[in-house]
Amino acid sequence: MKLDRIPIVSVPAPGRAAGLSGNAPVVLREIAQKVRRLVDANEASTIDLLAMPLTAADLEWLRESLGNGETHISLDAGGESRLDETSCPGVWWVTHHNGQGGVASAFIEVAVVPELVKAPIDDVAAGLERLDLLISDLG
Amino acid sequence: MQGPLIESLARQGVSRRTFSKYCATLASMMALSPVAGQAMASALAAAPAATRRPSVIWLPFQECTGCTESITRSHSPTIEGMIFDMVSLDYQETLMAAAGFQAEEALHTAMKENQGKYLLIVDGSVPLALEGAYSCIAGRTNLELLKEASRGAAAIVAMGSCAAFGGLPHANPNPTGAVAVSDIIKDRPIVNVPGCPPIPVVMTGVLAHFITFGSLPELDALGRPKAFYGETIHDRCYRRPFYDQGKFAKTFDDEGARNGWCLFELGCKGPVTYNSCATTKWNAGTSWPVESGHGCLGCSEPDFWDAGGFYRALSVPAGPLQMVGAAAAVGVATGAAVSFLNRAKKRAAKAGHETTTLADLEK
Repeated sequence: MKLDRIPIVSVPAPGRAAGLSGNAPVVLREIAQKVRRLVDANEASTIDLLAMPLTAADLEWLRESLGNGETHISLDAGGESRLDETSCPGVWWVTHHNGQGGVASAFIEVAVVPELVKAPIDDVAAGLERLDLLISDLG
Repeated sequence: MQGPLIESLARQGVSRRTFSKYCATLASMMALSPVAGQAMASALAAAPAATRRPSVIWLPFQECTGCTESITRSHSPTIEGMIFDMVSLDYQETLMAAAGFQAEEALHTAMKENQGKYLLIVDGSVPLALEGAYSCIAGRTNLELLKEASRGAAAIVAMGSCAAFGGLPHANPNPTGAVAVSDIIKDRPIVNVPGCPPIPVVMTGVLAHFITFGSLPELDALGRPKAFYGETIHDRCYRRPFYDQGKFAKTFDDEGARNGWCLFELGCKGPVTYNSCATTKWNAGTSWPVESGHGCLGCSEPDFWDAGGFYRALSVPAGPLQMVGAAAAVGVATGAAVSFLNRAKKRAAKAGHETTTLADLEK
């Protein structure tokens, strides 16, 4: 018997669109849990989107379900990073690109403001030194 | 976030945000929780100053230099490269400017000055036939050099499948009597980083772990870091849902192949191969074998070269992650049929080493 003769029939689950694995709604529930934790205990958390068996269609479904919010942040730090708030405030879709433009990692961050957006205090101090230098140059 | 590394990176124009982003990605690749990324960022930033860089000695044995190529030509210039700046690479034949007597002197000085503390990286297998005459450096056999260098090493990293498992030189009929580092050295901690070649970030990950937590990462039964080799290619493959649905490409140019279905029937060794290509990818995150339409060869597993042919389907499908309803029934039935079909092929493959022909590719 040849491999070609094995009758392989794909029977998609009812209501499942092409390419969807069924894992995306599970992630949506996890996001809801994390938002509840943020509201109740002011505790921020993160989901690593690339650590789960999600297809491109799953990610698209998730992105569409979450929709677009009011805030979109772009970071230029070792490649571009996009931090887009979804239509659910506090739920951020974070995509880090590497220097060559490829996606290096992708997360859902549940936080009032994503950690990476805040200026590190040591950098602020370095900035102050620069300001002082500028002022001293004024004579 | 403070420390010598972050200050040195800042001088090179790398901001704290860039470094935090890099650590988040590294943790994601190591399958650690996003919280671990923050811990790693703080610990790495505070790594020892350049004056106390740990010494690394890299010995090349029976190898093709592919491992060195993989590490040095990966993404440049990147933070991986800068983390490598935290170590002092005291001997690496391919990269060092010195040659002959000077090179050998550098090796012996490094071993003497860092006795018991240096990290020994080995790529390539060690030939034992003809008393090791198949591969010699400066008139001494690989076996002799390995034994000498391992005596003062804090730990050994076996880079690539040849050093970790014997690799290609070890393939049947193994004319040079090639063996792995772990077949010879029994009294030193050995980390196996197999792959042909291995993924560069695994090396950085091992170093980052050593600096962050002060120990070698947790290893599996084959001595591989669990963070990178803890799951199979199959379990992390983006084509996995097609396997669960019973959708397979049957040739490299059929509708299934064009639709990007599972490559299991075309011989993909993903289900039995532990590595992280599916998440780390290759060429600066551009792609990886399955994404470019070719099944996994299983290059990070022992004896992958003699596993019966790259284009022969595995005889026993791995247990699917989750299958529901009718799709599950079809999947199991397909698995059983493939298993039955392959018994005869496996017997034939066992009889002797088979070369892959064009006919295999067009099966």
